[in-house]
Amino acid sequence: MLRTSKYLLAVAAIALAAGVSARASDATRVALVPGGPHPYFSAWEKAGEDAKKDFNLGAADYRVPQKWELNLQNSLLESLLSQGYNAFLVFPGDPVGSNSTVQELTENGAPVIATAGCLKEPTTALFCFGTDTGNSAYLGTKELIKAMGGKGRIAHFTGFLVDPNTQLRIDAVEKAAKETNGAVSVTQVIADIDAPGPAEEKINAYLAAHASDVDGIVTTAWVPAVVAANALRRIGDKRIKMVGIDHDEVVLKAIKDGFVNGTMLQNPYGQGYIGSYALNRIRNGCKVKKDAPFKTIALTNRFIDSGTVYADASAVDNYVASMQSITKQIFAGFENTYLDCP
Amino acid sequence: MTASIQRAPAALVRSALSNEFGLVALIAVFAAWFALATPGFASPFNLFTLGRIAAIDVMIGFSMMVVIVTGGLNLSVGAIGACSAMFFGWLSQRFGLPLVFTIPAALAMGAALGAVNGQLIVRSGLHSFIITLATMSVFFGVMVFVTRAEAFRALPPAILAFGRLRYFGYVSPLLLVSAGVGLALAALYRLTPLGREMLAAGANAAAAELSGVRVGRVFVRCHMLSGALAGVAALMAIARTGAAIPSMAGDLGQDWLLPAFLGPVLGGTLLSGGRVSVLGAFLGSALVSELTNGLLQFRVGEFWLQTYLGLMLLAAVLLDLMRRKLVARFGASR
Repeated sequence: MLRTSKYLLAVAAIALAAGVSARASDATRVALVPGGPHPYFSAWEKAGEDAKKDFNLGAADYRVPQKWELNLQNSLLESLLSQGYNAFLVFPGDPVGSNSTVQELTENGAPVIATAGCLKEPTTALFCFGTDTGNSAYLGTKELIKAMGGKGRIAHFTGFLVDPNTQLRIDAVEKAAKETNGAVSVTQVIADIDAPGPAEEKINAYLAAHASDVDGIVTTAWVPAVVAANALRRIGDKRIKMVGIDHDEVVLKAIKDGFVNGTMLQNPYGQGYIGSYALNRIRNGCKVKKDAPFKTIALTNRFIDSGTVYADASAVDNYVASMQSITKQIFAGFENTYLDCP
Repeated sequence: MTASIQRAPAALVRSALSNEFGLVALIAVFAAWFALATPGFASPFNLFTLGRIAAIDVMIGFSMMVVIVTGGLNLSVGAIGACSAMFFGWLSQRFGLPLVFTIPAALAMGAALGAVNGQLIVRSGLHSFIITLATMSVFFGVMVFVTRAEAFRALPPAILAFGRLRYFGYVSPLLLVSAGVGLALAALYRLTPLGREMLAAGANAAAAELSGVRVGRVFVRCHMLSGALAGVAALMAIARTGAAIPSMAGDLGQDWLLPAFLGPVLGGTLLSGGRVSVLGAFLGSALVSELTNGLLQFRVGEFWLQTYLGLMLLAAVLLDLMRRKLVARFGASR
């Protein structure tokens, strides 16, 4: 009798363990994977932690490829899938080259949202959730032109040439300048400098030789914004106006001190937080609405803008509140706007 | 009869002392450790993706190995690979040409760029390090200028299907391609006059010249072969990603440099030239891919990955050294 009870107990324990294990594997385990190490994405870590707590997720872990290399990111994604992650927020290492890996993830039952950067259609990612980079560059240049008094010469410092977003940014800056009917011209575009070494070398060399030839600087990538802000502080001449991008402390302080006029803020925290929420809802039976009001941009016709806002000296102290306000606003209407849930 | 019995243990000791045996042993030990310690390592999906990655790294290693044989280097393997891939993509997307034409054309592009390297090295007399460092920027720069960094993705579906194909659930056909190319290279060096001339020119160019080997022409052919193999690696990368993208080998193709060197060097190919181990290069690349995959499975902090990889490679080399000393002592005592 005692032996029978022991067997029954053992069977029950195994069944319980199996049940727990089944439930554990059913829980949404989100991996937030950028293209490589970059300060822009550091907000994703906190966003994942908050999302795990608020939405009772199995995991929402920020996992960074050791460097910006498409193959490394693809390998990391494949490895994370075999480690049991079942939902992915991915900044595509390449808008085209990441598609194949994303397709493999989705074919294995793991939904993917392209986050902070888009995949080129056709793609099996649910949608793209990020900043409209072209629009952000356009609005930033318009602010710069306003600060320059509507006339003058602009230098544009931007990201890697192999990133097609770079061409969109270059075109957007040109477009804003052309709208002035010749009053403003883009005299120099320096690209391929979203890393400290090349940015320091090229921006400093350019300003040393041509500072007097430019009236305004627009930067559309994180590292060039930091380096250009530092350079203007060193030169000490506030004649040159500048609009940067993102929220690095160096740029924010330069805005407060008057060396930089403003910055185009993006919303990485909101991308990670709302993206994790959306993946969990999708895994629990929701579907993306076919008639959802997606925007169309160069890469995709399923784009959701995670928000961008211009912050000048009057708004720079409250930039966190600005980003949180955008996040709350998008989150409040997200499910009704974009998802069909049972 | 007695002599053959005595020769057998000697041959056994010799093969146990070999680099290749050590690499096989290390691969087996690490595979067992990773499979026991991490639940995902032995999963069919992971084994499939590991094989696919290893196949590409092996081919990149081969493309460097065939130049190291001459005592030279080819720093432009990544740039040549990217150019071949983009040429393949352009022919496929723009003209809709079939694979029977585009694949040889891509390999010819790789070989042609390799020939440029070879001619510049032979005619200038400068070290291949300088020449290929320069051509790396030139090839990549021209490619980005011509393509405006736009990828080609309207490629024949067969190539992507090939990259996703699985034999027995976990074997990638790309691995078989690498093995096939490895066999062909081994045959080249062991069985053909050209292969022997390559080794002779690498070991001692002056002596080879005196023996009637046209060293300059041999060097150019080595670089052409290197370019063609970089083209093969690029086509395999396309099969993995389903698109020809300018950044497939990183900025200037630099992402390929580490796998290009690690495989051949771990495998026993002499940097000074004249000696090659095709099997060693294959196994060396496979070991590095396996270690990287295993460390990812262990969830080693991403920024520690390179450190751990370096430490494990160091440990692997030291263990192999110990093994050789033990086997040598055991062999001597017999």
